[in-house]
Amino acid sequence: MLMVTTPADPDDLMVKTRQEEVLRAMERYRPKGLVLDISGVETLDSFFARTVAETSRMVGLMGGRTVIAGMRPSVVIAATQLALTLGGILTALTVDRALDLLSAPPPRRRRA
Amino acid sequence: MSQPTQGDVPIKSENDIVVVRRVVRDLVTRLSFGVTDVTRAVTGASELTRNISLYAGTGIMWWTTLDRHGAAGLELRFEGHGLGISDIELAMKPGHGTSHGLGLGLPGAKRLMDEMEIHSELGKGTTLTVRK
Repeated sequence: MLMVTTPADPDDLMVKTRQEEVLRAMERYRPKGLVLDISGVETLDSFFARTVAETSRMVGLMGGRTVIAGMRPSVVIAATQLALTLGGILTALTVDRALDLLSAPPPRRRRA
Repeated sequence: MSQPTQGDVPIKSENDIVVVRRVVRDLVTRLSFGVTDVTRAVTGASELTRNISLYAGTGIMWWTTLDRHGAAGLELRFEGHGLGISDIELAMKPGHGTSHGLGLGLPGAKRLMDEMEIHSELGKGTTLTVRK
């Protein structure tokens, strides 16, 4: 598994750089999945959401599955009011549950 | 010494999106907004600043603290130094966007804030005022 954490207030360049690092790490370590721990994120705007959805599709093209873990309640509320979508990525309340999801066979549930 | 009640943040590049977020977060935290309203205000300001960066290129955000019947509030005025919006009604529709954004900057930001007003003059730019 590849585990990525994101800073509280990432700027656009940091978000894009992190995306490239994830794809390079997919190639180098060949994990079965990616857990994106966003529990520290305080501001999730449209650019961040779009890049996360895009990264998940890219990881999918490389044969991996992505789970987003730990979205804060205040971020959930703001993201929903902003009508952000994450393109059907699997989500989990905690990193532990995200790891459980990824070690199970591909589920058909909890699509965001 | 008392805290300032108004100020501004120039928006020159997309790097200033993070600066605006920090300024708004500090302000609403100082005004004792709850954590959900802090996140709403910061996220809304982030989207509106991104709009300026994407569509107008440059602009400025003016901020003023408000006393709304005893409750603390914040007014943010976003001035985009672009060409202006030709059709505000269309720009307010979800899913509309002429750049590579998601096209939900304006309606989304309106839902996050309490009030929003747009004034746009073709050739002169757009001013967008929000209050929370």
